[in-house]
Amino acid sequence: MSGTESVAFDTPQRERRADTFAMWVFIGSEAMLFGAIFLVFLVAHIDFGPAFAAASKHLSLPLGTFNTAVLITSSFTMALAHMLAVHRRWRAAAWALAATSALGICFLIVKGIEYTKEISDGLAPLLGLPFRYTGPDPVHAEFFFGLYFTMTSLHALHLIGGIIVIAGMIALWPTSTPANRLRRVVALGLYWHFVDIVWVFMFPVLYLINR
Amino acid sequence: MSELRKLTFGYLGLLALLALTVGSSLIDLGGFNVALNLAIAAAKAVLIVMLFMHLTGALPRLAVAAAGLWLVILFWLTLVGR
Repeated sequence: MSGTESVAFDTPQRERRADTFAMWVFIGSEAMLFGAIFLVFLVAHIDFGPAFAAASKHLSLPLGTFNTAVLITSSFTMALAHMLAVHRRWRAAAWALAATSALGICFLIVKGIEYTKEISDGLAPLLGLPFRYTGPDPVHAEFFFGLYFTMTSLHALHLIGGIIVIAGMIALWPTSTPANRLRRVVALGLYWHFVDIVWVFMFPVLYLINR
Repeated sequence: MSELRKLTFGYLGLLALLALTVGSSLIDLGGFNVALNLAIAAAKAVLIVMLFMHLTGALPRLAVAAAGLWLVILFWLTLVGR
């Protein structure tokens, strides 16, 4: 028995290398998606700088900073899961994966608290909700909040997808071969770290405009 | 385990950079705030890619280089045409 998932590969090593390359290509395509949205934000920021800076002050810097730390910690536990899987410490690796998904859920809860506050303050120009912005230039502030909700909700969807895959991986953990466990941790780790990197750029761009 | 130490240093470095970016945003540096924030974000991304994502091997590097090239074209042509 070779221990590969697909019959296309002779050895688990080759299968893992193919997986890794495919994940990097996928991450490249994801970078195009987020890159285009960042570009829209950049151009709008150049054109409506003062309105964007004033609108950005309505976001919660403490919650945003806390969430950035949470996501960085989740990347650390994901890297630990990878290291433990390489050293075949399977039980510890599964716990590190569980910690990663718990931190992801924590991020989503804090994001939900932020959304609730922004919606109740009338700062969410979506789903027909009332937009009651009292600062200068409300038209372009509305554009800022539209972009803020688009970018952060797209990021949150990616995080939800990652959490679902971690849950599936933990469910399949007892019946998986060691080679498959390691292959999945490596592939999911790449995705999770990429989602972290997207947030690392989103946080200063959205929360730290001319504070 | 030296690998664990490497990951821990990377993690602490990321947290330090987060503190730096939040701290710098509270001081008015004129036009340099945005540039500094983006430079710190790029430094964090490099730390994550090198320490956590283990970017090694020719094919993964090719995929990253291709994505980077297309992003440069996307941003450059958009901003130069304005």
